[in-house]
Order: sequence, then structure tokens, then C-alpha cells
Amino acid sequence: MMCDFLKTCCADPMKLIGEWFVILPAVILLLAAAASVVMRNLIHAALLLTLSFIALGVVFIALGAEFVGFVQLLVYVGAVAMVIVFAILLTKPDQLTKSRNMLSGFAPAAGVAVAFASLAALLGFIFSSPLAKKPLPATASAPVAAIGEALMGDYVIALIVLGILLTAALVGAAVIAMEDKP
Amino acid sequence: MNIPGSGILKGLAVTARNFAGSYVEKDRLTTEQYPEERPKLPEAARSFPFLVYDGDDPEAGMRCVSCKICEKECPPQCIYIIQDRDEAGKALKRPKVFDIDISVCMSCQICVEVCPFESIRMDQDYELSSFDRFGSLMIDKPKLLKSNTYYHSIHPTEAAETDGRIEAERLKKEAAAAAKAAAAQKAAAEKAAKEAAPSVPLVPSQQEGKP
Amino acid sequence: MISSLERVPIDLLHWFLGLVGSFGVPAWILAIVSALIIIGTIIGVFLGLFALTSVMERKILARVQNRYGPNRAGPFGLFQPIADGIKMITKEDLVPRTADWIVHLLAPVVMMVPALMVLAIIPYGRDMVPVELDAGILYFFAVGAGTEVAVFMAGWGSNNKYSVLGAMRAIAQMISYELPLVISAIVTAMIAGSLSPSAIVAAQGGGGFVPQWFILTPWGFTAGLIFYICALAESNRSPFDLPEGESELVAGHLTEYSGFKYATFFMAEYVGMFAICGMFVTLFLGGWQAPLPFLDIVPSWCWFFGKVCFVAFTMIWVRATLPRLRIDHLLAFAWKFLLPMSFAAFLSAACWHYAGRGPLAWILSLAIVGIPYLILGNAFTNRFAVSRRTYLFSE
Repeated sequence: MMCDFLKTCCADPMKLIGEWFVILPAVILLLAAAASVVMRNLIHAALLLTLSFIALGVVFIALGAEFVGFVQLLVYVGAVAMVIVFAILLTKPDQLTKSRNMLSGFAPAAGVAVAFASLAALLGFIFSSPLAKKPLPATASAPVAAIGEALMGDYVIALIVLGILLTAALVGAAVIAMEDKP
Repeated sequence: MNIPGSGILKGLAVTARNFAGSYVEKDRLTTEQYPEERPKLPEAARSFPFLVYDGDDPEAGMRCVSCKICEKECPPQCIYIIQDRDEAGKALKRPKVFDIDISVCMSCQICVEVCPFESIRMDQDYELSSFDRFGSLMIDKPKLLKSNTYYHSIHPTEAAETDGRIEAERLKKEAAAAAKAAAAQKAAAEKAAKEAAPSVPLVPSQQEGKP
Repeated sequence: MISSLERVPIDLLHWFLGLVGSFGVPAWILAIVSALIIIGTIIGVFLGLFALTSVMERKILARVQNRYGPNRAGPFGLFQPIADGIKMITKEDLVPRTADWIVHLLAPVVMMVPALMVLAIIPYGRDMVPVELDAGILYFFAVGAGTEVAVFMAGWGSNNKYSVLGAMRAIAQMISYELPLVISAIVTAMIAGSLSPSAIVAAQGGGGFVPQWFILTPWGFTAGLIFYICALAESNRSPFDLPEGESELVAGHLTEYSGFKYATFFMAEYVGMFAICGMFVTLFLGGWQAPLPFLDIVPSWCWFFGKVCFVAFTMIWVRATLPRLRIDHLLAFAWKFLLPMSFAAFLSAACWHYAGRGPLAWILSLAIVGIPYLILGNAFTNRFAVSRRTYLFSE
């Protein structure tokens, strides 16, 4: 199967480049995420996590889901990564570069085992669901207009519930941050 | 209730006026581009002293008589004068050496104020930088001597006034000399008249010679 | 009445590709060569604009301040960018010994790359978009979010408490102003019915004596003004240049940068400013379209760059006029004034569209935008007024 794949790619080099646009960011994503977990320097770990977010966004775009990819970059890299960084800097400003050895002891092995078990369970649920039995479309296309119509049509209740949730979070944050009047 | 943002718009209008005006109005762009345009100094601007001479020959027309008052009065003591002596060792009324150290001079103009002979005055030249730290900042007599015409060109009012004063002095001296001459003449005439005709009163015609 | 100069850039590209293709290269290499030429041209044009702007800004600021700008380095000082470039290149590149040198080195790179990448979706003329993306506006803001990471890396990588503080303030400013920026851009996308910049430009066409640009409508004017103010804040330009003013925490997150890294930050800021000016022109000023039909003689790309230069001139004019905002004023302005106003513009645009776009719709949309403007604008002026000073412990 690998030889067939390589043969078609050599005949049409653009296809090869197209495939690599998915494989390379995926590899970067896995490596960056793994490195961010074992890094000793906390800020380096946060920056590698940001790199993994960017790589995930590129994977989405390369697979044809442009809207999701751009939103991933906008929200995760622009906002969530910054929140993580702020949280680190405001809560642990002086122990950042001290070494914290993540690879010793019992906890890392247990953590990896739990992660793989939950991944297996998740994949099991996904592949046995009716969604996996639907045939894939010939070309991936998700124009923004179609997403907008779906959100406002079939999934409007989910959208409104999300809006209420976010409003509640915003009001809660404002209440927490508001100073007590003397 | 004021319109929010009106202040910003007024500010933008002021800035725009300055921008456009700097191309057409002279007083919205007052920079003088230094090496090409020199600033116009007021008449009383001063930098460092110089010695005035009348006429064409610096050494002969020099007004300084080496009285050394300026050397004594100078607060940072930057003037160095050595009086000229002739072959016999008698002091002459001229300086042999007259140096001013302009790295010390503070341009206070006291030397000008105390000079009784109107000979030291303030120059206006400020472009005097040199690469040599002290040597070329000690100005000697030949470089200090500048003509009265130059003095007129840089300080016209002051120079005219000084010339007036010198002229008045000269006329007073001449008048005094003439008066003295006339008085001497009168005394001599009186003496002659006394010797010639002691009892005869003076004839009015002899008094007509008096100026 | 399109002039023959209109197609010159595209025709040049096609001619060159034909020349290369005559050597029998396969199609995919031609595609790569075409992409490289387009990328090279755009980067060249914008870096040239950066060089020109760095001297024109100083000259315009100078004229406003009643003095000449730099006028010694060439005719009218136009070789000043060359002198600045030589200075920047030959300066010593200092990295503090205890600083995180990897992060310190990568920060200018991470700053420059998004600034250049956003130039890909801006329509520079008729049929002259480098990449025709369906969700172009979203791409613009998504890639622009990379700048914030770069600011943090610059502040952290310097190992200097003041740099970190400056970086935090810069990030807070950028995040706060990103929200009104995106909402005011989405207003135009809503009316045009698409997120693609070419479609938004096309939706502003077709006017007769009066151009149908979005900025000439009440909601468009408000949204445009909000976009412009947020653009000033995102590029850290005056009056929002707290992160990098010389008297503010030295230079904030840029304190420990010297030489070419500083020049890269500087370049990224100016290229980002032009990119966001380009977006402003595309969304609100009608893009590459001429205001009146008979002015089509001037080519579309000339109109585009003329409008971008005009907007950049107004940014310099604003810089010359307004004092710097303090951090709490800045954040309060974003959250308490600009964000509600952008929602008001959104509502106003929707009402304008659904009320039929007639005279009644105009009056309605003007009211929906004007009343919150007056209320919000006057609600905050008393908060910052200086009150009579009272001393707690004096008799």
C-alpha cells in the first residue's frame, strides 16, 4: 500500500505536497504536545503547547475544514494560550525555571496508562457510533455559508445555550474582578 | 451635553493647520538650516574680545596703550599683557604681548567697560572650534587686532558712539590746547604790552585775537 | 473606461510565466514560480512602503511641529531609511546573559511572520487577490493573533521584570481591542453576505454620483471608526503606544532588543500597520474601486494604494495630535465604550438592511448608533474629571 501511495505521489507531485501538509503538522503537534508535558521550564512548556495549538489549526486547514482551523487559531492561540501564560505568570512568578522532573516516580507511568485507556475508549465509542457509518464525501468542502446556515437552522438551540453559558461566564468574571466598594 | 469627540476633532484641525501652513506661511516653519543659513544676531551679541586699530596699519593705529587695567579687572584672569620697552628699557605706550585665553574667557565684557582708551571691544565670531585643546584657543596680538571699519560693521551704533566720544575728546584736547596757546599768546602779548607801554590801558583791538 | 495600465501587473506575470514555461517545465513548477513571484512582489512593495513610511512619518510629524524633518541624507532626506538600515545592521546585538536566548531570538521572527502572512488575502486591484479564501476575514484575524504570542515571548525572553510587565500590558491591550475590531469587521461581512474580502469589495460597488462605500452609511461610519481606533491599538501606535513609548517602562517588552532584532520588530509593526490599513480600505472604503465611474481611468491598484497611503497619513496625523492613553483609561475605553458601540453598529446595520435600505432605514440606523454614542460618551467624562482634592489627615 505504501508503494502504491508513493507511485501516485511521484506521478503527481502536488498530491505528495498536499499529503505532507497534513502529515507534517500532525507530527509537529504530537511532538510539541509530548515535549510540553515533559519540559522542565514551565514557560517553555506553555510555548510548546501554543505550538501544538498552531499545528492543530494547520491540520484542520489542510484537511479542508478552513473555518474550524481559523477559529482554532483565533481562539486557542490568541486567547487560551494567553490565558495560560497569564495564569502561570500571575501565580508562580518565581519558580518557573526551577527544575521539575516529570519523568520520575510512579505518577507518569500511571498517567500515560490512563491516557491510552481513555483514548482507546473514545476511539471505540466514535467508531461504533452511527456517525462513523456515514460514507465520506468525495471532496471535503465546508463553505462558511453552509456552516452558518447549519448553526442558525439545525443547531440553533445549541448556539443559544452556548451564548447563555458564555454570558454567565462573563458576568461571573466581572463580579469576581470587581472591587469591593469602600 | 457636549458631543464626545469634538475635542479630538478640534485638535486634529489645529494640527492640520500647522501642517498645511508650514508650506506657505513663514512663521509656521521657523527653522534656520544652520550651516547654510546663519542666524541673524542682535547688535549687542558678544563672544570674545578683540583690539581695535584706527587706519590701515594695525601696529601704528592700535589704540591700546598697555595700561593693564583690563588685565587687572578680568575676573577669570584670562588676559596676559607685557608692555613694550624701547632699546633703552623705557616703557612705551603699547603692548608687546597681548594674549587672551578664550577657553577661560567668560565674555563678561568687564574689560570693555573699564578700558579708558576705547581699545578693547567684544567680537561676535562664535565659530571658533579647534582640534587643538589649548594652543589654538590662546589668541595672540596679531590675531586680536581688527580694524575700526570691522568694528563699525559688527556694532554700528556702539562704534559710532565710540567714535563720537573719541572725536569729542580730541576736540576738547584741541580746544584746551588752543585755549592754552591763546592764553599763552595773550600772556605774551600782555607782557609785551606791559613792557612797551605799561601805563597805557589795553587797546580793544588787541583783545580781538582771543577766540 | 478601464485604462490599459489596469492589467499591467497581471500581464507582466503571465508574460514571465510564459517565458519560463517555454523551457518545458511541468505545470507544478510553474505554479510554484508564480507563487514565488507574487510573494516576492508583495513583500518587496510592502517593505518599500515601510522604508518610505519611516521617513515620511518623521517628516510629516516634523511639519506639524513647525520644523523640517530629516533632510540631510538625500534629496529631501529620502535616503534616510538606508542610513537607518546601515545603523541597525551594524549595531551590536546584545542578549542578556541570563536571558532565555531561544525565546529572545524567536520573538522577532514570530512577530514578523504573521505580519507578512496577512498580506495574502487583501485584494490589491481588480482580480488581484494573491489567495482567494472563502473565509478571508477570519484568516486575517486568526493570523494576527500570532502577534500576541510574539509580544509575550519578547517580554519573557528578556529576563527583565519591567519587560514582562510591559509585555503583560501590551497583551492586555491587544486582547481588549481585538474584540471590537473583529465585531466591526463582521458588521461589513454581514451586510455583504460573505467573509471573502473580494465579495465585500464587490458589495460596495455600483454607485452612481455617490459611492456606495460602507463608510458613508451611519453604521458603516461607526464600525469604520471603531475598526480604525482598534487598528491603531493593535499596531501599538499612538495614542495607544503605551507598550513601546520611550518613557513607559523604558521600552516595555522591547527593552533588551538592539540592532537588527529591533529593526525586525519595527518592520513588523509598520508592515502590520499597512496590512490593517489595507483591510480598512477593503472593508469600509470600497477597496480598489474608484469613487466615481469616470475616475476608472486611474488603475484599480493605484486607487487601492492611494487610499492605503491616505489612511496611513491619517494615522500619522492622529499620532501627531493626541497624547498617550494611560493603561486603565485605555482598557476602560475598549471594554466600556468601543465594545457596546460595536454592538450598536451591528444592530444598526441589521436594522438598516431589514428596514429596506430606504430613507427610513437610514434614520433608524442613525438613531440606533447615535443615541448610545451620546449616552456612553457623556457617561464617562465625569469619571475622569479631577475633583476637589481632600486631605484625609489634615485639620
